[in-house]
Amino acid sequence: MKLNIQGVSKTFLARKNRVLALEDISLDVKQGEFVCLIGPSGCGKSTLLNIIAGLIHPERGTVLMDGHPVTEPGPDRVVMFQDHALFPWLTVLGNVEFGMKMKGVPRDKRRALALEFLRMVHLSSFQHAYTHELSGGMKQRVALARALAINPDILLMDEPFCSLDAQSREILQVELQEIWSLTRKTIVFVTHNVREAVYLGNRVIVMSARPGRIKQDITIDLPRPRRMGSLEMIKVTNSIMQELRGEIETVLKEELHDA
Amino acid sequence: MRSAFRVICFYLILLLIWEGIFRLHLWPAFLFPSPLQVFETLANGFYDKSFLIGIGISMERILLGFGISLVLGIVVGFCIGSFQILDGTIGPLLNGLRSLPSICWFPLGLLWFGLNENAINFVVIMGAAFCITLATDDGVKNISPIYLRAASTMGAKGLKRFWYVILPAALPSIITGMKLGWSFAWRSLMAGEMLYVSLGLGHLLMMGRELNDISQMFAVMLVIMALGLLVDKVVFGLMEREMRIRWGLNAL
Repeated sequence: MKLNIQGVSKTFLARKNRVLALEDISLDVKQGEFVCLIGPSGCGKSTLLNIIAGLIHPERGTVLMDGHPVTEPGPDRVVMFQDHALFPWLTVLGNVEFGMKMKGVPRDKRRALALEFLRMVHLSSFQHAYTHELSGGMKQRVALARALAINPDILLMDEPFCSLDAQSREILQVELQEIWSLTRKTIVFVTHNVREAVYLGNRVIVMSARPGRIKQDITIDLPRPRRMGSLEMIKVTNSIMQELRGEIETVLKEELHDA
Repeated sequence: MRSAFRVICFYLILLLIWEGIFRLHLWPAFLFPSPLQVFETLANGFYDKSFLIGIGISMERILLGFGISLVLGIVVGFCIGSFQILDGTIGPLLNGLRSLPSICWFPLGLLWFGLNENAINFVVIMGAAFCITLATDDGVKNISPIYLRAASTMGAKGLKRFWYVILPAALPSIITGMKLGWSFAWRSLMAGEMLYVSLGLGHLLMMGRELNDISQMFAVMLVIMALGLLVDKVVFGLMEREMRIRWGLNAL
């Protein structure tokens, strides 16, 4: 077992109220699995990802990575954020090399590897550009190359495509599927987009509205490469949508009640 | 092109007015020199190397003093920006000390170090270090947390984290502080050099007064002004420009 989450709970303080964000989450992720976490907004899926990353500490429960408890962030669990989080003071190449530089990979080797990953995301010609010169989709590609270049044991993706326009998003989904087929990285991918989850994941974990619990753990064994909008995909997507609808209504009711 | 022409015209007219006032003989020539006299002194000063030596000595001093303030300011500023406890305690103190005009450190410097090089260095450092410290502190505090999170998940720790993440992320603010620090340091240095036979530009200026050589005073003042401007515009100007291009701030 690559990643082992046991009984993780987390509460937050919001306007002096204690809000239970995650309740007793247990989840195992195998080597090479592509797991999508899906749920209505505020279900704590990003919180769970941050706990796996070591950026947030759980209140109860443990996260084991290859059997070792996670206590702090580290390059074995690289996060790709919704907001690209590229460094504006570095060029595209500098950004992709960053993690390897932290690891102490020699200059020539890290340059060669960085170029290889930039080729993988089709951005070789932009290696000397600064990040503000790139479009949103290109920035996320650089972020993906930067994360892959570190060669993490597990890649954590926190709604990485959700702020992109529809076309860029679709292109990146296709590319991510290709890259995953090529590298077989273990990936935990947070999204609120059911189609995206079904398209990308080997498993889709459906979470409930606050407090976040695991509601369903669905194995998607559709053959790859998958095609967006194929009949089987639509079927699976619809059944998960059905499942989620109730949760989304709960959230809506709660939010309207709050307001 | 047109604007350059206009600027040149403006300064030519200014020189003519200066010459005109000189020719009115409102004041005796030893109180108010003609521009020609000043340029002659300027040329002589460079020809007999006395100005060059003065510039060299002053630059050497300021590079030392400013260099020390820079290292000190960045290290202390980083500590204050990173540790809450220091922020609450040392922060306000430094803010208070910064508001003290650097010349006010002279009596203390003279008492502690005597009338020598060290007193001057002390005042230069005191003049520049506080604003570099506070600018660094500000820069560190305003680093977008997303950069720090990204850096930590990519394994940036300790000194590497400081050198490759915190410092470059805070650089825009640090450059602003450096610019301000430089101008404070330059002022303090000139004030300090007037105090004794320090051989720097400040001393040359004071020598003009002692010899009743008004054109020397004007000439040295021009040199001091030009040098201050040159460093501000060229060194820091280029740094700022490069940074703005990288960060994409010019597009705004």
